[in-house]
Amino acid sequence: MHMATTPAIQPIVHLSNVDKDYKLGAVTVSALKQVSLEIAPGEFTVIAGPSGSGKTTLLNLIGCVDVATRGEVIVAGQDTGKLTEGDLTRLRLNALGFIFQSFNLVGVLDAFQNVEFPLLLQKKMNAAQRKERVMDLLNRVGIAEYAHHRPGELSGGQRQRVAIARALVTFPRIVLADEPTANLDSVTGNQILDLMQELNREGTTFLFSTHDPHVVSRAGRVVRLVDGRIVTEPEQQSQTSHS
Amino acid sequence: MNTLLLIAARNLARNRKRTLLLGGAIAVVTVLLVLLTSLFNGTQASMLRNATTLSTGHVNVAGFYKITSGTAAPVVTEYAKLRALVEKETPGLQSLVIRGRGFGKLVSDASSQIAVVSGIDIAQEANFKNILEIVHGDVDRLSEPHSILIFEATAERLELKIGDNVTLSSQTYRGSNNSIDCKVVAIAKPLGMFSSFFSYVPLQTLRELYGLDATTAGGIQLYLKDWEQAEQVAAKLRIALDKSGYRVMDHMDLPYWRKFDIVKREDWTGQKIDVTTWMDEDPFMKWTLFGFRALIVIIFMVLLAIIIIGVMNTLWMAIRERTREVGALRAIGMQRQTVMAMFVTEGALLALASSTIGVILGVAAAFALNAAHLKMIKGFQMVLMSETVTLLVNVPTVIISLLVIASVTTLGSILPAWRAARLQPVEAMHSSN
Repeated sequence: MHMATTPAIQPIVHLSNVDKDYKLGAVTVSALKQVSLEIAPGEFTVIAGPSGSGKTTLLNLIGCVDVATRGEVIVAGQDTGKLTEGDLTRLRLNALGFIFQSFNLVGVLDAFQNVEFPLLLQKKMNAAQRKERVMDLLNRVGIAEYAHHRPGELSGGQRQRVAIARALVTFPRIVLADEPTANLDSVTGNQILDLMQELNREGTTFLFSTHDPHVVSRAGRVVRLVDGRIVTEPEQQSQTSHS
Repeated sequence: MNTLLLIAARNLARNRKRTLLLGGAIAVVTVLLVLLTSLFNGTQASMLRNATTLSTGHVNVAGFYKITSGTAAPVVTEYAKLRALVEKETPGLQSLVIRGRGFGKLVSDASSQIAVVSGIDIAQEANFKNILEIVHGDVDRLSEPHSILIFEATAERLELKIGDNVTLSSQTYRGSNNSIDCKVVAIAKPLGMFSSFFSYVPLQTLRELYGLDATTAGGIQLYLKDWEQAEQVAAKLRIALDKSGYRVMDHMDLPYWRKFDIVKREDWTGQKIDVTTWMDEDPFMKWTLFGFRALIVIIFMVLLAIIIIGVMNTLWMAIRERTREVGALRAIGMQRQTVMAMFVTEGALLALASSTIGVILGVAAAFALNAAHLKMIKGFQMVLMSETVTLLVNVPTVIISLLVIASVTTLGSILPAWRAARLQPVEAMHSSN
């Protein structure tokens, strides 16, 4: 069992002895084996590893879009194994932000509407408050002038900026990003990483997966996965990048 | 909700070809439904207007008088007293006419035929004059004693023309034979299947044929403000007449001329009142309308099934194309019911918009067809009692058509939407679509 360093403050994510098996016909494939991990507020953590090592599976469990076969997954203080489908959805909406490799924006909504969408699902803010929050974020990620452009009218980098704004709009406890730069050229990818690091310095916790060594080198902390197991986590990296 | 509506509208607009194809199909079905229901309403109105003027009221208060148990005369005695009671007890009564009822033989020099003979007071029968198309003679001359109106088929069969005499022969209610000569004063165009053996004489002439006095009549034909209330009104009248001391016959859904043998076999004498509706007196029309309505329902169900399958297929395609989007939305916190609402909204929007367009086109087509005065083919003219195709656009029917099509096609989107809502976010996000 590999246990990450436990920060003194309450972790946002706590995984203990987590296994994840998939059944492929009569064969059971173990995607994660005995994974234990904690993510503290303010971290800028990368889950690194080759393809098939279990990075996406681990992000899915932390992102509450999948459940562990065995072990305990606690996210934002809630044991996800004990939550109903509806509760998990609410947890994702209120505590987590997602950035996807292929952006996954709603194609028929413009940038403003895409970013506003989680707020509409939350039903906590009125129209004026939503507008202020969305425009703040679009300004922050540098695409306010494209607020009324649909994803099809934006470049890959611009779309990922919209996705980042959407992930942040609900003030999530942690933002999960699955290979956020994989579909971008290196210059744009670096710009996105710069933006994520800036946001991290401002207090946003990031956990993202990558197999790109250049991206790994920019992480505050690296969790390496090989064949579904955490293999190493150097001491010097197990600290938040802005602390 | 506004955002779901926006997503639905924009997705429909984005898949323009598919939307136009399916929306067009829904609109065409709506047009067909509006036209079919309007044709049914027009035919029903025309048949009902003609039949209820010629041979029956919406409700009829008539009966049989038996001198001995083996006889049966379609006669009501002291009809004035009965009329007063009926006028008082009939809710929604618009008008009434007094008719005589007879059944006998028309004999000319050339031939003879069985005839159902109605006695009428032409001065009181404004509708009767409006309905019939007189090809020879003058219908107002039915006010002359011993005159007769026949239809073209009878005139041809008996080789009669205006001014000719025809002998009307029948057995009186006392069992003896009697006959009177009547002069043909009017020949009318055929109006329905029964017109080939229907004829009309003055009420007093019919009384003479049967040896009856002026206090008798065949029956009272009642016309209601709302003909659809006929059965309820008939039931109410049966109770009211019974309470007033009349003997009321059990209800039989047969025309009076098919009850002779039944009544003759019954062991009673004196007067019994029979309350019937137009459906009893004209079962042919009842079954024609029933068949027509059933045909419309079957056609509609088939078309609707095709549309539902179309909507389901379209949404399946939309969901397959947008599986990753659904996965992402579920991941960012959209609840299952909201996913379902998103796709149902898309189906509902398409259904409502298309069926509204269909209704507008259907109503316009109905008015255009009416304006064209399309001739009905001969066979249908006899069955449907009309020479031209008449479409009656009935607003409640149109609204119901719109709501039914929009609702049922929306229902067709529920299963695909439910399946979309059941997608696991993790699987949907990694879908190859």
